[in-house]
Amino acid sequence: MSIFRPAAIMRNLFKKPMTLQFPYEALPPVEGYRGRHLLDLEKCTGCPVCSLACPNKAIELVKVGEEEKEGKKVEKKYPQIHLGKCCFCGLCEEYCPRDAIHMTQEAMISIMDKSQAIYSPDKLSQPVG
Amino acid sequence: MDNEIVSILKSKFPESILSSVSEDKRIYLLVKREEFYQILSQLKEMGFDHLSDVTCVDMLAQGEFELIYHLWSHTKKIRGIVKTRIPRESPTIKSIVDLWIGAQIHEREGHELFGIRFEGNPNLMPLFLEDWEEIPPFRKDFDIREYVKREYYGEDKGYFGQG
Amino acid sequence: MERTRDILAKDELEEREISFTTIPFGPQHPASGHFHASVKCVGEEVVELTPYPGYLHRGFERLMEYRNHAQNTMLCDRICVLDPFSNEMGYVNVVEKASGIEAPQRGKFIRTIMAELGRILSHITWIGIISMALGLDSGTRIAWGDREKIIRLNELATGGRIYPCYFIPGGVRRDFPEGFKEEILKVLDYIENQMKLYDNLVFYNTTFTMRLENVGILRAEDAVALGITGPNLRASGIATDVRKDEPYDAYPYVDFKVVFKGKGDAYSRALCRRGEIIESISIVRQLLEKIPEGDFRVKWGLTKKVPSGEAYFCCEAARGELCFHMVSDGTERPYRVKVRGPSFSHTLAGFPHLAKGVYIADIPAIYWSLDPCPADMDR
Repeated sequence: MSIFRPAAIMRNLFKKPMTLQFPYEALPPVEGYRGRHLLDLEKCTGCPVCSLACPNKAIELVKVGEEEKEGKKVEKKYPQIHLGKCCFCGLCEEYCPRDAIHMTQEAMISIMDKSQAIYSPDKLSQPVG
Repeated sequence: MDNEIVSILKSKFPESILSSVSEDKRIYLLVKREEFYQILSQLKEMGFDHLSDVTCVDMLAQGEFELIYHLWSHTKKIRGIVKTRIPRESPTIKSIVDLWIGAQIHEREGHELFGIRFEGNPNLMPLFLEDWEEIPPFRKDFDIREYVKREYYGEDKGYFGQG
Repeated sequence: MERTRDILAKDELEEREISFTTIPFGPQHPASGHFHASVKCVGEEVVELTPYPGYLHRGFERLMEYRNHAQNTMLCDRICVLDPFSNEMGYVNVVEKASGIEAPQRGKFIRTIMAELGRILSHITWIGIISMALGLDSGTRIAWGDREKIIRLNELATGGRIYPCYFIPGGVRRDFPEGFKEEILKVLDYIENQMKLYDNLVFYNTTFTMRLENVGILRAEDAVALGITGPNLRASGIATDVRKDEPYDAYPYVDFKVVFKGKGDAYSRALCRRGEIIESISIVRQLLEKIPEGDFRVKWGLTKKVPSGEAYFCCEAARGELCFHMVSDGTERPYRVKVRGPSFSHTLAGFPHLAKGVYIADIPAIYWSLDPCPADMDR
């Protein structure tokens, strides 16, 4: 079988390459992609289901303040996520009983310093973009 | 057809077969340790030519290891599962390398991870772990969390414990 | 000079004052992957090959004892990275068998479609890797570009590119999005077209055939004694396929041929995989026509308990027979999970057997014709 194929060579010379120049062009994002989390502070009640669902123990509930409820002082707790331990499986979003935690399409979350990997509830509730 | 295989075995080894279940395309047998090699070689002659796996399960509460041999017959298309039990204090059993040469590597893994001695296996050197000094790691009395905290997150271990 | 395979006794070698050289076919090698073997040779010929596994041993079977069943499907993806859907399929089916529930029909069809797309992805990855090992770099670049189309389909359906985390006991986690069927059909047409290019560039290329024909011949009785399964066994003449012998999920509803060849050399193994890509394309087209509407899952709670007992399930991964054995003690965590990876027997029992008496230059060709996955071997 001959390896000299002039028609194929001319066709391939003028074809567009398969690759994109990354930081300047990127693939369009897809709906339902599992990226960084977004927390809705109105809906979250501090029940620990997301913390129990996480396979890597990346979610921890921290005390944010206190509030009055039926005459008693109750602690207000919200989740804090360690994105270094997170494996982006989406089980916290799936098992949350009040739909308070969602995974957005944000994937460019690289950092240089490991201490910035823990996202407090305030940082999680800021919208992306 | 399954019942035929099980009934032939029961007639040849009446004492050793403790229980058996036959389903469509599968047979399950629980046998005594003394004659299990003869039962497996009889099964090989009856057409079970492929050995998939040799599995070990650690039954801590009963003080025994359970060994499970998974067989498959290419001609009859039936799966055979044979189980036997050995005591936990002195776990030794005869190796089946003479029947299926592919069993040598499964028994080597069982020796490394559970500590079972297979007599007759030519090579029982460690397979995955290097310089391992604790008890075999897949046993139920080996505490993984305590080991990880001591080796990787101790006070003198710097970087891993932070962040 | 006589061939060393004609000299059988070691004493004779010492008498003739021939000394052995030991070369590492190591983990840092352009044709090796995450696998280390030590090759003892005399001149250009190999006398013995000793594998040293363990670079990717993560202890999954022990890690799964600390997590419940919904969380374990996340770990199952990582057992074999190149073919993640087969591992999830095996685990999910064994849990369903032990707890006595059954997924609805639409869930089974979706699982089978994704598993077959995963098989095509794995075989195209294999074309890329074996081209790199034999020196045909163009095959690698084109195969990596074609992989991207199927990974994009994974992303659309599941949200994750390489680790989908899609199956769960009781069905699948999300339904197919709108217009997904047309996307799949476009990708299948593209791959069918690309197979002509792969035929000219890789499969019927003189470099490829000369390096793989009559190399690493595996006879049928040796293959069965060593525990070899999958396309490697089918290339030696024994037509066993778990999808035909013990069908599961939606395989009873499709019609396909089992591809097998008779010769047993490395080239037959390559042609078996090429035939499987074409059969998988036909299976996915049949399933897309027959897929029913309705529910796609039965809800599985986070702390749902599985009754005590055991279950055993085998499925056909891209590399061979993948089996899961699970023992449950009545709680929500498994007591013991054993994973039988297909590459365990291929690499640790089959490869040393085939590598006796060949030239050093044939070692990468034999190794990659067996399509090993070191992640599968070590778990």
